[in-house]
Amino acid sequence: MRIISQLMAIPGVIAAGEYAFRGDRYSFEGNMTDELARMASILCRSNTLAVNMQAEIFSAFSENCGCKPVQGWIVRGKAMSVCVVGNFFCFCQNMPGLLNDVMTILRAKVGDIEENPLVYMYAKLGGDVNEKLY
Amino acid sequence: MSLDQLMQVPGALAAFQYDDKGDLQAHQVKEGSELTPQVLDLLAHTCVANMAIATMEARGWEALTGQTGFEPVQAFSLVGLDWSAVVGRNLGVVVKNRDADYEAAFAALANCQA
Repeated sequence: MRIISQLMAIPGVIAAGEYAFRGDRYSFEGNMTDELARMASILCRSNTLAVNMQAEIFSAFSENCGCKPVQGWIVRGKAMSVCVVGNFFCFCQNMPGLLNDVMTILRAKVGDIEENPLVYMYAKLGGDVNEKLY
Repeated sequence: MSLDQLMQVPGALAAFQYDDKGDLQAHQVKEGSELTPQVLDLLAHTCVANMAIATMEARGWEALTGQTGFEPVQAFSLVGLDWSAVVGRNLGVVVKNRDADYEAAFAALANCQA
């Protein structure tokens, strides 16, 4: 199952998408128009580049600071959160348990938590990772 | 003390407090962590900048799309390779990615700032 479809299977996820780092292509699912997805892709890409630049500066101060390369970022609003890992983005509601599920899937598929095989395996199946695991 | 509470977040490596400009005011670092006060100070400055940018984007996004719920921005997290920095208005906590519980970190920040 595609990562975007896995994310959309989680109740509370509004939209999820993938963008090209060069910025001219994107794909998405969810409650969003094509134009909004294009804007979201540009927004997420520029923020990702910014946090990567910041991590470069951190590493200049501390060689093994543990921040580089950056996996992504999260913005938590009043009722909505935007999660980005690699070149994937997810707009979700602030519901209990939701953010950790979204980040688990994103980091398992795009990030680096493969040392936990159970989480990684269940993330590949999609849906509610916590429910399946615990 | 807020920093003591933040150090109780699962996987916490450091907790820090900063002023509105991003200057580090206080910090606690778990023994063995490679995070230095210098890195935390830089982290605090980037957090202030990222929160400001996120607020600008949230306000613009709401105005352009008519969607709501993004503003006010309550917290920001930078997810690094080994650790994540989770920051609120003037407080932040660095958590180990392996043990990261982002919701617990956001909730702890909200409690400390309440």
